[in-house]
Amino acid sequence: MNLWLLAAAVLLVAAFGPALCVAAVAAPERRLIAQNLATVVGALAFLLMAQGYGRSPYRDAALVLAVLGPAGTLVYARFLGVLPSSRTVLYGAAIGVPAVVGPVCAAVGPGREMVKVLVIGALLVAGGTVTSVKGDRHG
Amino acid sequence: MVSTVIVIALVLVGGAATAAVFNRDPTRQALVLSFLGLSLALLFMAVQAPDVALSQLAVGSAVTPLMILLAVRKVKRESTDQDGDESESP
Repeated sequence: MNLWLLAAAVLLVAAFGPALCVAAVAAPERRLIAQNLATVVGALAFLLMAQGYGRSPYRDAALVLAVLGPAGTLVYARFLGVLPSSRTVLYGAAIGVPAVVGPVCAAVGPGREMVKVLVIGALLVAGGTVTSVKGDRHG
Repeated sequence: MVSTVIVIALVLVGGAATAAVFNRDPTRQALVLSFLGLSLALLFMAVQAPDVALSQLAVGSAVTPLMILLAVRKVKRESTDQDGDESESP
């Protein structure tokens, strides 16, 4: 029984699944929020899977997604003409990222890999904050 | 445990693909399509193919939806230009 993979599975079912449901049926602004949330959740799932499989290079995917996710959300915001503020993403990133990055850091131990994990976490929190803080920003 | 993650990722891919098919508006479809890209990347990672997952992330979650959005914008602009020409010509 691998607890990391179990956590990844729970994260996918509890957060990615509902986001997919919202993205499939809701209004465009809510779809954008769901897409934003899904990139954060996806990156966290990549981190957990990398730990679960015991292969540190797998974390590169989380790093790429942490960079590409907010950029993609901003591109969509540009085309849809609105960047909706969202507490779900903001709190999800503020609570979920430390909840995953903390244990992963503890398991990795001090060193270069820990710095990488911390950078991924910081990118995720920064990206989630930039794309979801309250404000009247259009297009 | 590994197979559980693979099954979940497969179900997500199936759900995202079905949702992409049933959304007819291209702009909304592009957002669902980015979900499909992300789910596929998760599936590839679950079956331990990180290189494929990386390329799928870049292509599926950013580039393909961007192309669709750009194409939709261009088509809309051209159709409004044509409408403008037709209304001016008579």
